[in-house]
Amino acid sequence: MLRIEHYSKTYPSGKTAVNDLSLHVRPGEIYGFIGHNGAGKTTTLRAVAGVMDFTEGTITIDGHDVKRDPVGAKRVTAFLPDNPDLYEFMKGIDYLNFIADLYDLPAAQRTADIGKYSDAFALTGNLGSPIGSYSHGMRQKLALISAFIRRPRLLILDEPFVGLDPSASHLMKGYLAELCQSGSAVFFSTHVLEVAEKLCHRIAIIKDGRLVTSGPTDELVGDSSLEDVFLELEGEK
Amino acid sequence: MKKFFALLKVSIQSMLLSSTNARGRSRKKAATGLGAIIMIAFLGLYLSGLYSFMLMDVLAPLHMEVLVFIFMGIGALVGGLLFTTFAVKGVVFGGKDNDLLLSMPVSSTVLMASRVTAIYLENLVFSLFVLLPAGVVCLLTTQSGAGFSLLFWLRLVIAALALPLLDTALSVLLGALVAFLSTKAAGGALGQNIVMGVYLAAVFYFSFNLSGMLQELSANAAGVQDSLVWAAPILWMGEGIMGDWGLLLAFAACCAIPFVLVVLGLGRVYRQAVTAFQARAARNDYRLSAQSASGQKKALLMKEARRFFGTPMYFWNAGLGLVMLLAGGAAALVMRDDLREMVRIVGPSIAMPMAGAVIGFCLCSCVITAPSISIEGRYLWILREAPIKEDTLLWIKVGFQLLASLPCTVFAVVCITAALELPLWQGAALLAAAVIFATGQAMFGMLVGLAFPKLDAVNETVVIKQSLATMLAMFIPMALLGAAGGLYWLGGKVAEWAAVALPIAWFALLTAVCAVILAKQGAAMLRKL
Repeated sequence: MLRIEHYSKTYPSGKTAVNDLSLHVRPGEIYGFIGHNGAGKTTTLRAVAGVMDFTEGTITIDGHDVKRDPVGAKRVTAFLPDNPDLYEFMKGIDYLNFIADLYDLPAAQRTADIGKYSDAFALTGNLGSPIGSYSHGMRQKLALISAFIRRPRLLILDEPFVGLDPSASHLMKGYLAELCQSGSAVFFSTHVLEVAEKLCHRIAIIKDGRLVTSGPTDELVGDSSLEDVFLELEGEK
Repeated sequence: MKKFFALLKVSIQSMLLSSTNARGRSRKKAATGLGAIIMIAFLGLYLSGLYSFMLMDVLAPLHMEVLVFIFMGIGALVGGLLFTTFAVKGVVFGGKDNDLLLSMPVSSTVLMASRVTAIYLENLVFSLFVLLPAGVVCLLTTQSGAGFSLLFWLRLVIAALALPLLDTALSVLLGALVAFLSTKAAGGALGQNIVMGVYLAAVFYFSFNLSGMLQELSANAAGVQDSLVWAAPILWMGEGIMGDWGLLLAFAACCAIPFVLVVLGLGRVYRQAVTAFQARAARNDYRLSAQSASGQKKALLMKEARRFFGTPMYFWNAGLGLVMLLAGGAAALVMRDDLREMVRIVGPSIAMPMAGAVIGFCLCSCVITAPSISIEGRYLWILREAPIKEDTLLWIKVGFQLLASLPCTVFAVVCITAALELPLWQGAALLAAAVIFATGQAMFGMLVGLAFPKLDAVNETVVIKQSLATMLAMFIPMALLGAAGGLYWLGGKVAEWAAVALPIAWFALLTAVCAVILAKQGAAMLRKL
């Protein structure tokens, strides 16, 4: 589903954020991406989502090259940054319809999906209000709904659990699993190692822009815990 | 005091960085920013000097120079209010850094004072630009020799320093009212638009009646001065500048006291005000019904429209030209007899270029595309992750400005053509020139918006009112319009058709250049942001 080959990102200042990263996310897989602050996680996720240009390597999503066919790649992707700023001048329902229009979602499908997810996240009653009046958590939920209604082949999430209440986090985990059962894949970064350990089929650990290790969660963690493995690889234990 | 100056420095830095784009940009771009500011300063001084000269020309022979300072003072006050009232909502009450700064060990009065002082400095620039040229005109044209006294200049500087205090106090109060209306009224934007609409109507009324006022002034200057008792502090300012120290001090007190009261009064409730103006609780009564679908382009156009019409700061600053085109067209029809009389006096040959200059000036004030990329700012990720080509995004923004400006342009051209009784061919030529100019202006705005973006501004005010892109999109087309005037004059030496054809060809060339650059470079420029 997602294939990253020898991806590198160097900023104009000369700083290399990510160096020669390669990884592969298969259909039906939840793939966790963990690392310290500034390790290069967000830079990688933004490059995969087509939000940020990159220097070297290739990234393909469901067969679409992010550089050569960005529109095709984006059509099958949904991306949520760590702090999703949404248009405050729009009402919640207007924002969802705006996104649905950009992805050419049929009217009946969007009505059903908006109802399904906004009811589940207890946001339906608020959809008539301007986003400017939403709390941080409500915005996070709206952004999640806007991602789920796209039925993406690849869902890219940057720190998705920040700002969500426990029941919304639980719901989201369920929907991520549902999405993967339908053959899609999820690629997300997190600092919550317990969640990553329980949720992810595979995990990659990145340090100073380089991939330190990656593999199936069971094999990576073994009899230890992800926290121990992470700290050991980071040289902090 | 240390904290106050540290906070003030942050506010001023934010304003200056958006105006010059100095940080993180090449020296070339920073120099362009500085050049633009110098150009705008020159234009401001020129306009102010021109108005002062027109007034002085009428009033100096009557020994009523004092009225020049009174009228220019009123002009500075009204202009400053117009310029800063809507900035107050963003700069004083709506900064994105409010949470950060309010959490720091700084009293809310000091924070309020630093923000209000930033507004004062903006008004001070306006006041100096209006009053100092009036002083120079007084020095050059009056027989009384008032301008040669050092004390005259000292009094003028005191007046120029004091006037913005009053301006700031009034604009902060009006701005607080606007912010209050936007949270309390069901249609917040509508409430703000009504306040601004009434305000602009008064300004337009004053402008359209300026020539009549000047005639009245020459006939009865003393009577006009007597009728201005409602503006007593400004009268005192005029008398003070001309030599009455007592009245000057009274004027300074009238400016300083409201300023101090506003800072101390609102400073005490600043935290509550910021909270109240932000607190818009989401309703919980929406019922989902069947949704309808539309295409990508329509969705993007609707988004631009919602933002433009739903953000009064954006509408009234970037779309002022649209209002001026509609108001100017309607006023031309209403005042057609006066206009025809004027054309009869100055000569019919001046009617068409005059109409073109007025319409062109209005179009220069329509800069919807210029700040549109910067306004996206922290929302840009939404468009970047969407399956849309970059150049589609840019052309949609250009298209929206054209959808807004072309109907207003056509309305203004038709009204002015009818009012001035221009021949049909001249009306058609005027329409062609205006439509081409409007198209080029929209694309040029998009290009400068891409070249001088400000994606990390602490509020929209900084982006829309003070950004380099907005200023360049407004003033460079004005200079190009001036060049078209020169071509009209040159063409007129050859033949009547050449006078009309040359400016149209000039606009067409510029528009084509903008279109080619936008088509070839626009997407890459957007990708680099």
